[in-house]
Amino acid sequence: MTATIANRIGQAALVLLLAFTASFLLLQALPGDAILIKYQNPEMGLSPEQIAEIRLRYGADAPLWAQYGNALWNVLQGNFGYSVQAGVPVNALLATNLPPTLRLASLGLLVAVLLAGAVAFAATLAPFRWLREALQSLPSLMIAVPVFWLGIMLIQLFSFRLRLVPVINPSELQALILPVATLAVPIAAPLAQILIRSLDEAELQPFVAVARAKGASRSSVLWHHVLRNALLPVLTIAGVLFGELLAGAVVTETVFGINGLGRVTEQAVSNQDTAVLQAIVVLAAAGFVLINLAVDLVAPLIDPRLQRSTEALA
Amino acid sequence: MSIHPFKMLQRPVQVAVTALLFSSVSTGALLARDQPVQGGTLVYLEQQAHTNLYPPAGGFYPNSGILNQITDKLTWQNPDTLEIEPWLAESWDVNSDATEYVFKLRPGVTFSDGTPLDAAAVAKNFDVFGLGDKERGYPVAEAINNYEASEVIDPLTVKFTFTAPAPGFLQATSVIGSGIVAPSVLEGPYEELGDATKIIGSGPFVVESEVLGQNLTLKAREDYNWGPLNIGHEGRAYLDAIQFIVTPEDSVRIGALLAGQADFIRQIQAYDEPQVEAQGYLIHSAPTRGVNNNVTFRPENPLVGDLRVRQALTAATNTEEIVSTLFSAHYPRATSVIASTALGYVDLSDRLAFDPDRARALLDEAGWTVGADGIREKGGTRLELSAYESLPQPQNRATLQLLSQQWAAVGVKLNVLAGDSGSATQDNLDPLKTPIRPAMVGRADPDVIKSNFYPTNRDSLLQKGGTNPNATWEDPQLNELLLAIASEPDTDKRLDLTGEVQSYLLDKAYVIPIFEEPQVFAGAPYVHGIGFDAVGRPSFYNVWLAPR
Repeated sequence: MTATIANRIGQAALVLLLAFTASFLLLQALPGDAILIKYQNPEMGLSPEQIAEIRLRYGADAPLWAQYGNALWNVLQGNFGYSVQAGVPVNALLATNLPPTLRLASLGLLVAVLLAGAVAFAATLAPFRWLREALQSLPSLMIAVPVFWLGIMLIQLFSFRLRLVPVINPSELQALILPVATLAVPIAAPLAQILIRSLDEAELQPFVAVARAKGASRSSVLWHHVLRNALLPVLTIAGVLFGELLAGAVVTETVFGINGLGRVTEQAVSNQDTAVLQAIVVLAAAGFVLINLAVDLVAPLIDPRLQRSTEALA
Repeated sequence: MSIHPFKMLQRPVQVAVTALLFSSVSTGALLARDQPVQGGTLVYLEQQAHTNLYPPAGGFYPNSGILNQITDKLTWQNPDTLEIEPWLAESWDVNSDATEYVFKLRPGVTFSDGTPLDAAAVAKNFDVFGLGDKERGYPVAEAINNYEASEVIDPLTVKFTFTAPAPGFLQATSVIGSGIVAPSVLEGPYEELGDATKIIGSGPFVVESEVLGQNLTLKAREDYNWGPLNIGHEGRAYLDAIQFIVTPEDSVRIGALLAGQADFIRQIQAYDEPQVEAQGYLIHSAPTRGVNNNVTFRPENPLVGDLRVRQALTAATNTEEIVSTLFSAHYPRATSVIASTALGYVDLSDRLAFDPDRARALLDEAGWTVGADGIREKGGTRLELSAYESLPQPQNRATLQLLSQQWAAVGVKLNVLAGDSGSATQDNLDPLKTPIRPAMVGRADPDVIKSNFYPTNRDSLLQKGGTNPNATWEDPQLNELLLAIASEPDTDKRLDLTGEVQSYLLDKAYVIPIFEEPQVFAGAPYVHGIGFDAVGRPSFYNVWLAPR
């Protein structure tokens, strides 16, 4: 058991190091850098000597390996460096922006799960064929709609036309409604798609025939017996969903003008703020690792057959 | 039997009394609409968050929107007459060659933390603005040239000395970059001034709270009593508070205004103006009175190093088409290098006439023959140019694309590049990669031309000694003229020189001015008293909200 844990931790550390190094090299390969963008801006009106001095202060032209070593050493100590554009330490930036994004993302995921469940069950239980087919193609529509367009349309309809939810100066609860809805739609799509497929497949299993023979109704069979079996494929795409959540958060936060990691990412990309981008890459990699670990731990709980096989191996 | 006093009155008297009652009510209502109302909160939507509130960083419009309410300046430039009038300084003396300025300050002015705004505070401010502070990372203010030192003569008198004539300094004391802050603000590092709550000024509003990157609340300063004489009223601001909310998405900003969720917004594109005006809301378009929105050539690039090519491209540009297709009545066509509302403007529209035949003739003369695909070539080289769009300029991408179409008609190809900021910033320093660059500067003083073209300032032409370390090209005659403007103490001579440099720039076809770029805002009809400084920065001191 401890061997497996140590193994997993070692793997996780390797993944994080690779992510860090790869992002460092790729960002350095880009032309220009954050300092150039911020201070070369004509609006600042700085002379070339002043800009050269600023570059010296930031150590922007030090050799590559020196910058890498420096950055790595700092990260190991928990210091992600300094955001050139915002002028604050990256840790402070993350501390203020991570909680709102986590809140948005977790609520978005929750609503997405409910939405996907609703669509999947409706599609499976639909009485008419045309209805079933329409509902089955709904996930494709949901994923095809661009997130920013959806966000703007929701604002126009619910905030400006129907005046149900204010966009400016909303209360805490009001501020979450539209962004969560916007974020939930593209997340619910793959969930719904997979759930529909796996519900269909699980329904063909022999134990379903037994349950029906014993007199259970179709929906009761789906809910009590089939769902647990159908959940496993859904869990496996949890990592993909996490990536979609991050991407969705970037667009949603920009459209709604709310603070969060997504907005920070978007601005860091525009300004080539290397320190911030690397911190986000490391955080995202850590997130993936944790989610995969969580899925591996939860899967045997959902499907006891996995538990027995892991026991056999151990 | 009950007595009804009213009915007992004679009928004409009844009518007269009723009429009197009604008229007094309606007059009262009319008066209420015209008289400023004290109180209320203005909800102002900004497109971008502020970056830093060090006053010389106020060139960036989101920064200046805040700085203009919380800081005051020594002088006030009347936006209508462009004259410099007293504000924190009651009077001033300038010596004959503009190397010494003495300001007498208005007594009784305090910062919002209670400390007095005296000569020592003003001296400290300008020492930092004029000389910078390397240790703390404060850059030198763009508007201040040749600063040497300050001297406190008495608590209300301060003297500034310059190493060379600085005729633009008086106007420089009125720009947003010279907002006076409490000396304690300038003790910390530059980055700290990104936090608005740290800025202590003497302005009519004070920063109350802030959520960085999202919103900011200002509240009125009760004891404010030192506005400029001609600004509109005295005493504290009418508003109780202003809420700045960052709303990056255009449609959300406009929609919020029209839905009544916001009162005033900045940045509204020309194509969105009709929907705002259709609902009875107001477009406030403030001129920036500086160098017009233009494309500047980098003559170091051999393709545009030939005067005839530049003249041809100027003749091939149809600014009328650009303005009428992409913009609205608020964006006047350019008729010179600087705006028609700018100081020292001369009408040079004859040099900017649209003449595609002349363009073709010039290009033929320069030896560029039309190739098989319609693009001219000479000695195996195609006449193909590139330019990166300039994001702060409105609809710049569309402007460049339309320009590209117009130039294609005379056989020149213009590639419009978006590019991320990194490659755009880097390539803009290389004339071979970017023979053309869009530019614009807002400042209501002839020094603005020097700001744009001089090598050690913005260096649009990429001359030797400027931002491009590998530059070999320069125009000493132009630089001499620019320096002369910045150092000529006599006002009339200075304006003459300004006219001369505009003619010179257009004779050499270094720049193609396109339109006079305004700052465009939109406001609800119940918002009264919006004011702008000389370059379109909003002032909310006089603003009052009519009851809706």
